[in-house]
Amino acid sequence: MIEQIADGASWAFIVTGAVFLVIGGIGVLRMPDVFTRLHAAGITDTLASGLILVGLMFQGGWTLVSVKLVLILLFLLFTSPVSSHALARAALHGGIRPILADSRGK
Amino acid sequence: MFTAAAAAILLTMGLAIVRALLGPTLYDRILAVNMFGTKTVLIIAVLGFLTGRPDFLDIALVYALINFIGVIAVLKFFEYGSLGAGRSDSRDPTS
Amino acid sequence: MAAIVDYAVLAFLAVTAVALLHFRNLFAVVMLASIYSLLSAALFVRLDAVDVAFTEAAVGAGISTILMLGSLALVGSKEERPRHTPIIPLLVVAVTGAALIYGTLDMPPFGRADNPVHQHVAPRYIQETPEKIDVPNVVTAVLASYRGYDTMGEVIVIFTAAIGVVLLLGIRQPRGEKESRSNEKGPTRGGKASE
Repeated sequence: MIEQIADGASWAFIVTGAVFLVIGGIGVLRMPDVFTRLHAAGITDTLASGLILVGLMFQGGWTLVSVKLVLILLFLLFTSPVSSHALARAALHGGIRPILADSRGK
Repeated sequence: MFTAAAAAILLTMGLAIVRALLGPTLYDRILAVNMFGTKTVLIIAVLGFLTGRPDFLDIALVYALINFIGVIAVLKFFEYGSLGAGRSDSRDPTS
Repeated sequence: MAAIVDYAVLAFLAVTAVALLHFRNLFAVVMLASIYSLLSAALFVRLDAVDVAFTEAAVGAGISTILMLGSLALVGSKEERPRHTPIIPLLVVAVTGAALIYGTLDMPPFGRADNPVHQHVAPRYIQETPEKIDVPNVVTAVLASYRGYDTMGEVIVIFTAAIGVVLLLGIRQPRGEKESRSNEKGPTRGGKASE
């Protein structure tokens, strides 16, 4: 019984993570600007990865495999927002200007 | 279930490659490489469960760190112009 | 089930390789080479060589990208147009590649236990490692003990490469350049941030 609940929860998390992955991937292609693409890539890096890793944790059970998955999740949660911020700052410093709402009519 | 996850991760990898090929500025390409790195971490974790050998997670763990450090090093390079004693006028980030 | 990963990774490798040849802006080429290394690492994981995959990912996508960017800072980043169309070299490469692929059609299936290559030295290593070498892992015993000279040669090669790279790129920063660069960065950064 517990096993079926764990399997069902794992399935739900992994499928939700996969859906967010595809949404973020399509967003990276369709967004008009580097800075908006950063938002879409952040969805795939942090949210979807987190959901898929939690789903895999239910499959791993109470073993060392789940501890490693927790560590990977922690590292991804700490480092991918930092990477996004660094990339945005470097792009701004390198001269890329964001497309704003009032600059489109020119 | 793992096959669906692997298919979604491969699809996202393909979309990241398209962004790396298309991206007009260099920062689009750095974004695509960073995204590709985290997808590689995920595909290694899912492949471990798919083939029944979740011992590959050590590789995924260390690569998550190396990906982060690599992207930060690349960005530091573009912000400060060079890694050491090079000229700083030869970078071309907006092409 | 996992064959879909093989097909997808190989297709991405082909696409990335063609794109690598096509671009003239070398920064884009360096980023695409990083993606190529990550795809190779995934392929090595599929072939059960996890340590090779990790080395490929760390060296190819991490260190090699940064070193190539450092070199681009020294030499500039546009590739010149080639002066002749490479039709004859393309033909030679295509014929040679086709001959090699034709030669691999006779090979036995990958990794089967009764392949001829596994009948001579491998059973001896597997039997003798617990008694004579006393290292628990057979792969480590082969690398460090049976083929120890090989490993020493590889360490020498990597050390020489590292020394060569440090001498070429010159990681030390001259002092005058550091002061002038920090002076010029202040006003521009403040100006851009307040926009």
